[in-house]
Amino acid sequence: MPGALYKSAAIVGAAEANQIGFLKEPVTALQLHIEAIKNLSDQTGIPISRIDGVFSTGWTTELCEHLGIKPKYIDTTAVGGCSFELHVHHAMAAIHAGIIDVALISHGENGHSAGQLGGRGVSNYARGAGDLSPAHEMTMAYGLNSAPSNYAHAMVRHMHRYGTVREDYAHIAKVTRDWATLNPRAAMYSKDKHPFGGPITVQQVEESRLITWPLTILHCCMVTDHGGAVFVVSPKVAASLHTPPVWIAGAGESMGHGTMMEMDDFTKTSARLSAEAAYTMAGLGPADMEMAQVYDSFTITAAITVEMLGLAKPGEGHLFWKEGRAAPGGDFPINTNGGGLSFNHSGMYGMPLLIEAYRQLSGTAEDGVNGDPGKQTSARTCVVNGTGGSLSATGTLVLLADD
Amino acid sequence: MSYDLPIPRQGTHTKPFWDGTREGKLMLPRCQDCNRVHWYPRHICPNCHSTNLEWIEGSGEGRVHTYAVQHLVFGPWKEQAPFVTAYIDLNEGDRMLTVLRGVDPNKPEEIRIGARVRVEFEQANDDTFIPYWRVVED
Ligand SMILES: [Zn+2]
Repeated sequence: MPGALYKSAAIVGAAEANQIGFLKEPVTALQLHIEAIKNLSDQTGIPISRIDGVFSTGWTTELCEHLGIKPKYIDTTAVGGCSFELHVHHAMAAIHAGIIDVALISHGENGHSAGQLGGRGVSNYARGAGDLSPAHEMTMAYGLNSAPSNYAHAMVRHMHRYGTVREDYAHIAKVTRDWATLNPRAAMYSKDKHPFGGPITVQQVEESRLITWPLTILHCCMVTDHGGAVFVVSPKVAASLHTPPVWIAGAGESMGHGTMMEMDDFTKTSARLSAEAAYTMAGLGPADMEMAQVYDSFTITAAITVEMLGLAKPGEGHLFWKEGRAAPGGDFPINTNGGGLSFNHSGMYGMPLLIEAYRQLSGTAEDGVNGDPGKQTSARTCVVNGTGGSLSATGTLVLLADD
Repeated sequence: MSYDLPIPRQGTHTKPFWDGTREGKLMLPRCQDCNRVHWYPRHICPNCHSTNLEWIEGSGEGRVHTYAVQHLVFGPWKEQAPFVTAYIDLNEGDRMLTVLRGVDPNKPEEIRIGARVRVEFEQANDDTFIPYWRVVED
């Protein structure tokens, strides 16, 4: 039986900044936010003045001021790239409680441009807890200062535990790239779009440059520019719009640790807990899901996540890709936009997960380009999972297409 | 030779740890109620939430839990690449991050999860000795 919040809110639109990816003309994070919000308002017909709840990773004050709105509900949850899945959870609770009707969830991050512009840039990742925090004090001496430098430790432990080899995970990068070649907005869509774009082979993934052994660069996400926004609204508001609703059947969140040193089991994330909460609220389980959008900061992240979501047995997550089930034309599509590996990853990838899930379940996932079959699938249910920090925090959503 | 890698700024409640390193001892926080050792040092026991904590001298021995080889590195460690980082399961319980010594970063497959390691301390400045772990024979 579903929980009280089941379908108490819907995502009714999803939009992006005018240009995303490796932008030649540098953009600010604020510009990426505002373009996406404006496009979202135009798409849904919801005036910006109608927004009464604002959710973002620390940007809420600046966004409200910039837009001249005075919200009734303010949320700046920032626990890494999964924050946006948590925002959806929080927004539906606030809507269910009757506090707000129209929640804006907004993302803008110039991971690529920041280097050219200086100043406020990239993600919340790996700032550590800061000076005089004992976790920072006891880890800062040892040269880990990037996401791959940490995540590789989980991959080694996962391989050790389950007897897998790196090539098993390389299929994830290959198949995810196949999806990107169906998405003209993907940074790695084609060789014309990016010198390293277009299809790749498992061998190329294996032989690309080492970042942190065993992760080669093609096992790692990109660092790009991205802005995106979604509206989460009450059923009453949803009924008044021309855009199709995608129903939030379940939502859950949790966290395992902050620094990776505190990770109990390097082969498991808190997605076990956040997924259990989401499935319980939805009254559904993994067997009811027809597709997934999962944070693929690294190939290992995607593999562990599908295991935590109950879609695969422990140690067998990679088989979704290796056996082609997750690929275009497969029976269980995953990361149909091309993922953080090949679509876009500005530092925090939670928003593109939401946007692609909305597009897939609302039938607006950009059909067919150049005679290709396109990335629109027939799935009617989707599980979305964001992972933030160093495999630290997770947010899971169970989304349903409108009846 | 001067130490030009990052040197932690010592906190007040971690003083017994840093004092220990100067004498070649690995001091660890232990809860007097549940008797479990935890790492990093807390203001409260993360296992039973007692504040009845003490410092004990650890064996300085452990096992490799997992590891990775750092190739693309930013900041002061850049010159040292490639180098091996590892999480160490302490014999007393819980886990510590380190840069692992006594292994070949160019032969990562030969590094063994479960390998025995022992701590050693490198002097970084007048009052800071930094723990590093080294693989030793079984
Ligand atoms: Zn205790």
